[in-house]
Order: sequence, then structure tokens, then C-alpha cells
Amino acid sequence: MLRMTGIRKAFPGVQALAGIDFDTQAGEVHALVGENGAGKSTLMHILAGVHRPDAGRIAFNGQEGIEISDEQHARRLGIAIVYQERSLFSLLSVAENIFVNNQPVNRVGGIVRKELYARTTELLDRISVKVHPGTPVGKLSAAQQQMVEIGKALSINARLVIFDEPTAALTRTETNVLFRVIRQLKDSGVGIVYISHRLEEIFEIAGRVTVLKDGQYQGTLSVTDTSPADLVMRMVGRKGLYQHVDRSIPAKLKPVLEVKGVSDGKLRDIHFSVSPGEIVALAGLAGAGRTELALAIFGARPISSGSIAIEGKVVPVVSPRDAIAAGIGYLPEDRKEMGLFLEMNVAENIAAARLSYFGSWWMSRAKLFETARTYIGRLRIATPDASRTVRKLSGGNQQKVLLSRWLLRDQLVLIVDEPTRGIDVGAKAEIYALLRDLADQGKAVIVISSDLPEVLAIADRIVVMRLGRIAGELLRAEATEENIMRLASMRVEETACR
Amino acid sequence: MPVIPSRFLNREVLLVGLILALIVAMSILYPASFPTLGNFSAILRNLAVDGIMACGMMMLLIAGTFDLSVGGVFSMAGVVAGWLMKNAGFPVPVAVLGGLGVSILGGLINGVIVARVRVNALIATLGTMGIYRGIAILLGGPGINFLPRSFSDPGQAVLLGLQAPVWLMILVAALFQYLLSRNRLFRQYYYIGNNPTAALLSGINVPRLQIMAFTIMGFLAGLSGIAFASRIGTSVSIAGDGAELRIITAVILGGASLTGGKGSIWGALLGVGFVALINNALIIASVSAYWQSIITGVVLVAAVSLDRFMQSND
Repeated sequence: MLRMTGIRKAFPGVQALAGIDFDTQAGEVHALVGENGAGKSTLMHILAGVHRPDAGRIAFNGQEGIEISDEQHARRLGIAIVYQERSLFSLLSVAENIFVNNQPVNRVGGIVRKELYARTTELLDRISVKVHPGTPVGKLSAAQQQMVEIGKALSINARLVIFDEPTAALTRTETNVLFRVIRQLKDSGVGIVYISHRLEEIFEIAGRVTVLKDGQYQGTLSVTDTSPADLVMRMVGRKGLYQHVDRSIPAKLKPVLEVKGVSDGKLRDIHFSVSPGEIVALAGLAGAGRTELALAIFGARPISSGSIAIEGKVVPVVSPRDAIAAGIGYLPEDRKEMGLFLEMNVAENIAAARLSYFGSWWMSRAKLFETARTYIGRLRIATPDASRTVRKLSGGNQQKVLLSRWLLRDQLVLIVDEPTRGIDVGAKAEIYALLRDLADQGKAVIVISSDLPEVLAIADRIVVMRLGRIAGELLRAEATEENIMRLASMRVEETACR
Repeated sequence: MPVIPSRFLNREVLLVGLILALIVAMSILYPASFPTLGNFSAILRNLAVDGIMACGMMMLLIAGTFDLSVGGVFSMAGVVAGWLMKNAGFPVPVAVLGGLGVSILGGLINGVIVARVRVNALIATLGTMGIYRGIAILLGGPGINFLPRSFSDPGQAVLLGLQAPVWLMILVAALFQYLLSRNRLFRQYYYIGNNPTAALLSGINVPRLQIMAFTIMGFLAGLSGIAFASRIGTSVSIAGDGAELRIITAVILGGASLTGGKGSIWGALLGVGFVALINNALIIASVSAYWQSIITGVVLVAAVSLDRFMQSND
């Protein structure tokens, strides 16, 4: 149905695509994998009419040599993209979001709401979604919003639907619902391109998989002929990302951080502690309250009861300032929104939490840049110099800048929320090594992660959360993906029995 | 290595170029009236009061916010000081302190509404703009004339060919240039303007710093208003009307951004200087003053569009 051959595209300074072949049959799910920057998005943007290729041919639906001139053209052809970052109007209704600029109108151009709602319901029925068409999209869950995006794709009678990291913000249950919808679409003869960092999903949903690396075509395989390890090899040319590295965990020291009975609107009576030199993972489904717990410990979320102790002393933490002063550092999941000063340079970003180190009345720029260079070297941050704007760094290097910020303060406890989300496989390995290093130096590291192989690879101990409570704790030696998931999704009665 | 990336300096370089070009062109076209000491001193005198306020406005814009009530505070401070010395019979220094006190209070109120009550700065200061303006007119009527000589003399004093308000502006600008480039407390405004959430999570006391910025802005607007009243020997109740847009225009022209996080005092002064120069050039060329707002508007839109264009080609 779709055949792209020899697609080339160059941007100033980089050959984004160097002759890519890609095809999709009707009724097939074809996965596209590769590290960030491998060219997956560029290739799909060419299909969506965002970019024009420099060379290569596209055939679609029996038409040879078509040139997709813009996004409207792509839509007319029947190509729809469901973007990773949802492009919805949160204050408008589901129906208005699905029929953004093609709402049914009467003769004078007024919108016929009855018909609009009826058509919306019909579309949503096709993907078995039960929401009222008049509901504002902002009130829906992440998964339901994703379904609205799919509804949008269906509203143009798409023949080919491209999913770009659709599960990044979804729980496992929601992912299952999404997969059911994708299978329905597939069975109705729609061609599907599926982009994901989560390799295990590809084996679950896709028939074939195409691997890109640095804009080069690395081959197309049937999922039955490959394995996650094999795909990683092809993507990065290395093995053993999720290999657990045995660290000599120091004898049980006095805990540096103790969370004692913390509760708030979401959290219920949380008790746990972390010792110096330990990496503790907070596992659980999305919505289990892990980020809320991190924010509560960090003083960014008011708690109604309970306390937080550092080195045995209860510290009143009512603002991030207090938590920072007590020795806690937090690396948010959403680095761009909550962590980085994107338009400021590397040095200024590293300095942000400890400006007084550079002088109060006369801040020393020499010291600022010298310090930044130290961390650039120590964490191997890939940047031409310390005055580079942080926006221009890759996700992995931005994460290292945030780590440097807390290292400069020499915090005792580091809470790292989804440390490798949106970071490519190569940089992931480096981040893992850095976190292990920090623990070896005696820091207490708390990692929040939804990626179970990641949890098993780096944690010494795993605290599983469920619905705002601690569902259980597992030592690395006894933990498996299965028993973590069991704790994370256990039903209420079972918890009560424990 | 500059702390501020060179991209931000481009605007300043552009303005210096425009200002120099304007000076050269005017000097050739009007050799008798433009390039004279008297004219330059008049330009400086007129831009001094705006220059003082522009320093504070630049600080606010760097922090990602702004203040529409500066014109109101400007008028109110002048009228309160005038009323205290003329109608209430207080000694001049007390009256001046009273005027400054009222303007600091006005700024503090703005800050608390924006940072603590968390009302959008546009709405909060639009509201207080009306309040402060109204207070000035209620108290001063059309204005308070014939203020005591001991008040107006300092405002008209001349040192090394420059009038007192010009010296005041130079002092304020030098202080803020230092504060915003080297002082830890004020450097935090760049962080707040760039990403307030990240600033909060980095331990920066965002609300307190915002209140401080608005309070300082109030003080500078009051200082400027009193300097103006002193220079002309009269408290004009509508003296500050329109100052907010004039100053925000100048400061944005000078490289600030409504989204915050960038700008410098040099830029603010160049922006104010450029607007004042255009005004002067039009007067000398006997062109209608209305052209001033048209030309300033065109240059503003062109300069910001140029930035956009250069960013999208990044």
C-alpha cells in the first residue's frame, strides 16, 4: 500500500536520511525503531507532508511517484499521524477536537451539533471508546485523549495511521486498550506504522520491524526472526544495556532519608527509607503516586501528615528551598518544563541551585565557567563549550546538566524521576553508569521508573507503589518483572489481607 | 565568554547602528540645529525620567513580568510630594520621602497581587494603574503649581553640563547594570523569567523576588515622577499618562522579551535613547509628532520580526 524507496533528506549540517526503504501493507503493523536522531521522525514527517525529501520515490495506494506537498495534502491522501505530544485543545469538546476544521454545517455555516455529536459517537464506537462527545478534552485521562487523537485520524478516513510513541504516557492497562484499537484498525485493512522506544511492545503488536541508525537503513525483519537484544544491537551496535551490574552494596548503614507516614490527598501513610550508597527504585503504574511522593519529599507538594527525616533528624520541608537545604535533589520527569532553563547556557544551568557559590555581591564568571567545565568533563557532557544554550543539547546531555546541578551542591539524596524517558539507548547506558557511580560515592539514589527492565538493571531494592500506598518492597535478588507487576496491580482486597 | 549569548547582543548592536545612522543623517540634514550641545542636552533631559523607569521595567521583563501602573505611580508620587509640601505644609525632604513611600507601597501592592494572590500581571497592574492615576487626580486636581524653590532647584541643577535628572538616570542605570550582571540576588531574575517552575525547584524564592521587583519598580517610578516634578516645579496629575506603553516599547526594542529571561540595562537605555532621538529628530524636522508613534511602532515590529526570522533559521 505504501512504498518509500531511496528516501534522502539533509538538514543543514546533518544527513538525516541516507536512502531509506520502507513499505507498509494494508492490514499490517510495521514498527519503526532507532535511537533518537536516527531519522524515524524525519521519515514520518515526510509522509505527513511536514518535510519534502531531497530524493527518493513514494508510492501510495497505487499512485506512483507522489509528492506530498503539505499536511493537508497528506490528509487528503489518507495519511494520519497520532503524535506523541498530543495536539488537542483541552478546553474544547471531544467532538470539536475530532472535527477541527471539518465540522458539519448548515446552509448559513452554523455548526449542526446534533450531527457533529452523532458522527463523533459513531467514530468513537468504532474504537470502542465510551465518552460523551461534549466532554471537554482536558477532563479526559491521558489514554482517552490518545483515543481522541485516533478518532481524529479516523475522521479523515485514514488508510495509513502513524503512531509516534503512543504509549509514552499510558499505563499498562491503557496500553492494552490502545493495542486492541490498533488491532481493530489493522483488521479493518488500515496500514499502521508504529514508532516506539519500548521494544517489548513491538513484539506484542507489530508484524515487521525496520531499524534505522543515524539516518541509515539497517534492515527490515519479521518480529519472529529477531529479539529485543538483536534490535538493540542493530540500533546501537552494543549489547547488555539492561545487564544488572553487581555493586558491592555497603553493609546496611543508618538510613540517610526516612519517610515516615507521609499522607496527602493522593498519598496514604508512606513509610520507607534509603541508606547511603543505595539505589532504590520506586516502581508502579502511572498514577500510583510516585511522582507525587517525590514532590512531597522535595517540598513541592504540601503533605497533610507525616514527616521526613534526613540523617535521623526530622526536617520541616514546606518548600523546595527547605528540601534543597536539607540535602535533597530532584530531577523531574519533564526536564524541559520543570528542570531546565532552556535559553540559558550550560554553565548557568549547572549553577542554578547554588548561585551563592559564585559570589553574592560580585559573581565570578571565571569560576562559573571553570566549574561548568569540570562537570562537562566529569559527566562527559557532549557540548562544544559551557556557553552553549541548553536547548541545543540532546536529551541525554540535558539530563547530565541537571545531574551536575545537584552534584555541585553535593546533595545527600537524589530523586531521579524517569531518568531515561525520551533519551536514546546509547545515552541511557551512560546515565545508568552515572547513577551507579553516585551511589558508589555514598549518595542515596531514588529512581522513579516505569520501565521494568530499567528498574531491574539499576535498583538494589525496589519499592512498589500502588494507588498512593506502598504495595511492597523487593530486594534486587528476588525481584522479577512479574512479581513487581503483581504488587503494582494487586487488587485492594489482596492488599488488605497482607 | 559572555554570560549573555551573543544573540542577545545583536539587538543592542542593531540599535547602536540605528542611533548612529540617525545622528549622522540628522547632522548632515540639519547642521545648525541638530548637532548642538544644547540639543543633545535637551534630548538627554527628556529621556532621563523614562530611562530611570526603563531600568526597572527591564528587570521586570527579564523576570518574565511587567508593570502597567508605572505611569500612575509616576503621577501619584509627584502629586503626593507636591501636596505634602504645598497643601499640608510639610518640609520638602519629608514630602519627598512621603512621595517615595507612596510609590514603594504602590509597587509592593502590585507585587503582592501578582506573586501571592497570583493575579496575572496584565490584569493586576491594569487595575492598579487606574487606581494610582485616580489618586493623583483626586489629590492634585489638574496639578499643583509653584512648588517651593528648595524642591525645584535641585531638579534644575546642572553639573558638567548635565541636569540633575540625567545624573540620577546615570546612577540608577549604573547600579542596575551592576545588579543584573553581577549580583546574585538579581541574577535570579534571569532564571525566573526563563522558567519559573524550574527556578522554584532549584530553590529560588520566586514569589519573594517577584514582590521585590515590583516594589523596586514602584520606587523607580516614584523617583522618576518626583524628579520630573522637581525639574518643572509643578506636580502634573497626568504627567505619567502613557508612560507604561512608551517604556515597555523602548525596553522591548532594547532586547527584552515578553516571555522573559533576556535583556540588559544597555538595551533598555538604547531603546529609550532611540525613541527619544526619533522624537527629537521629528521636532527639528518640523514633522508632526504623530509620526513619532508611527515610526516607533514600525521599528518595534520590524526589530521583533527580525528576531523571529533569525531564530527560525537557527
